[in-house]
Amino acid sequence: MPEGWSGFSYIVTNLARFVRPDEVTFSGVNSTPPMLACLLAKRAYDFDFVYLNVAGGVQPRPSKIPLSSSDPVLAEGSTAIFANEDFYDLCTRGGMDLCFLGAAQVDGLGRTNVSVIGDWRRPKVRLPGGGGGAVMLPTARRAVTWRTEHSTRILVERLDFVTAAGGLHGVVTPIAVFVKREGRLALQSWHPEVSLDDVRGGTGFDFDAAGAAPTPLPTPREAAALRSLDPDGRFERDANVSIRQESAP
Amino acid sequence: MSLAEMAARVPDGASVALGGSFLHRGPFAFVRELIRQRRRGLEIVKQSPGYDIDILCRAGCVARARAGIVAMEGNFGLAPWYRRAVETRQVELEEHACMTLTAGLRAAAYGVPFQPVGGVHGSDLAALNRWASVADPYGSGRDVWVIPAIRPDVAVIHVNEADELGDARVRGTSHWDRILTRAARQVFVVAEKLVPAASFEDCPELTLVPGFMVQAVCVAPRGAWPGSCWPHYEIDYPAVESYLDSGRHLDAHLERAPEAAERVRPDAAERVRPDAAEPARAEAGQPGRTEAAEPTEPVRAEAAAPVRAEAAEPTRPRTSEPVGA
Repeated sequence: MPEGWSGFSYIVTNLARFVRPDEVTFSGVNSTPPMLACLLAKRAYDFDFVYLNVAGGVQPRPSKIPLSSSDPVLAEGSTAIFANEDFYDLCTRGGMDLCFLGAAQVDGLGRTNVSVIGDWRRPKVRLPGGGGGAVMLPTARRAVTWRTEHSTRILVERLDFVTAAGGLHGVVTPIAVFVKREGRLALQSWHPEVSLDDVRGGTGFDFDAAGAAPTPLPTPREAAALRSLDPDGRFERDANVSIRQESAP
Repeated sequence: MSLAEMAARVPDGASVALGGSFLHRGPFAFVRELIRQRRRGLEIVKQSPGYDIDILCRAGCVARARAGIVAMEGNFGLAPWYRRAVETRQVELEEHACMTLTAGLRAAAYGVPFQPVGGVHGSDLAALNRWASVADPYGSGRDVWVIPAIRPDVAVIHVNEADELGDARVRGTSHWDRILTRAARQVFVVAEKLVPAASFEDCPELTLVPGFMVQAVCVAPRGAWPGSCWPHYEIDYPAVESYLDSGRHLDAHLERAPEAAERVRPDAAERVRPDAAEPARAEAGQPGRTEAAEPTEPVRAEAAAPVRAEAAEPTRPRTSEPVGA
C-alpha cells in the first residue's frame, strides 16, 4: 500500500513540532532529521527561535542543506561561531531549552543507549558511544530523540546499557510520538495510516495512551518547507524509512 | 618541516589527540602519514573521531581509544574498522560523553588533577569508568561528577592558516581544537596554507593557537581530504564511499591522497633543522621551539612502502541508522 505520509516526513515534521517560540534549540552531529526539523521550523512557523547547531551556527542561513549535520555550511549567515564547549556549557548551566539527541535504544523511563548492543565488554554491536547524551540529556530543559524504525529492539523494556538518563521529553518514530508524563513515556499521537495496536506491537515497554489520537497531517506550510529542504528526495532516500515495520536483520 | 618529519616525531605508543570533528577539518594527511610510517600502539584522544580513527584501526596503528562518539557521519553510518577493532578487543575503548572527555582535557589544561562536569547522573558510563562524584564542599547539597585529567602527548590539528612560528587560525567552528591544544604536552599544526606573520599581527584576536605553544608546523594543502576544510573544500563523498568499500585495498586510498601526489621541493630539505626528526618524547614538551615550514616535501616520494598490515575486512554495516549526538 502506498504511503500517503511518508515515515521520513512524519519524523521530521513531528520533531519540528517540538520547537517552541523564542527558545534556544540545538541540533548536533549525526543528526540529519533534527537538522531538517529545525530548518523546517524556521521556514514553516510564524514564530522565531534561537537555532544553534554543532557547526557553531547561531541563527544561520545556510546556502544549501548538507548531508552531514555538522557541515560547516550550517554556520553560513551566522553572526557568531558558538563552538562545542560553548553550547555544552550553555546546556549544563540550564540555557538549552530544546536539544535533539540520538539514541539506539530507548526505555519506558526515557533513558537511552547509544553505546552497545549486548554486553559492554563483549558487544554484539559497538555503537557510536556516549556523545552528547550523558551530559545533555540530564541538563537540557527538554531533550527529544528519534528513531527511523519503530520496533521492540529499539523501544525496549530493558536497555543493554544506560548511556544517558534524565530529561528526555519526547521520542518520534516513523509511526508514533511519545512524550514523557509522570516519569514515563506516554503515547501522544500515532501515524494516521497505522493503528494503535501497530504501535503497541512495536513497542517493548508498556505505555499510557490516554488522550492519544492520530497525528494531525502536515500543514501545507510544513509540507512545502520539507519539499524545499529536500527537493530531489535525497534525504528521504538515504533515510530509507518505512511506516510498515519489518524486522530488520 | 615536512609532514613525514612531523609524523616521525610521534613514537609508537604515544597518546595523540586529533583535531576537527567527524569529516570536518581533521588532520587526515597527518593520520595517513602515521600509517605510512607503520606507527603502532597509539592512543587516540578525540571527542568525535570518525574517518581518522577508522583508518588508523584499519591499518593496525591503534591500541586504545578515548572517545565520545565515533561514526563516519555524513550519511555513512558507523565506522566499520573501528567497530570491528573494538568488538574483537584489538582496541581498548574508554567510552566518554564528549563533555566528560573535555572535562578531563580541561583538568590537564588547568593544571589540576580532575575537573567537575555537568550531567552524567544516571549514566552507566560513570561506574564503567570508575568516575567519582563529590559533594559540593560549599554546601549547596548538589553532587557533581569529576573526571580525572587527560593529558595527551601531542595534539595535532589541521588549520586554515599558519605562519612559520606556528601561529594558527581556523575558519568556521574550532570544534574542540582549543582545549586539545591547551591540554596536550606538545602541539603540532598542519596548515592548508602558510601566511606571513604580519597577517597574524593584523588580527591577533583571531589566532586560535599562539606559535610559542607549537612545537611543529607543516603545510599540507587539501590535508583534511576526504573531509572538508571550510571554506576551501567540502567532503569528497565519492572518496569516502570508496574508502569504505572493503573490496579495495587501503593502499589505493592512501595513494589517492593529496599529500601523496605532492612533489619534493628542491630547497625543502635544507630548511629543516638538524634535530627535526627527533621523535617527541612523552615528558619533553619543548616550549618555544618551532620547526618552521615551507610548503614542502610532504611524503617521501620513494618511501611510502605499501601498507600491508591492514586489518581484516569487516562488512560495511548498512543495517542501522546512524545514531545521532
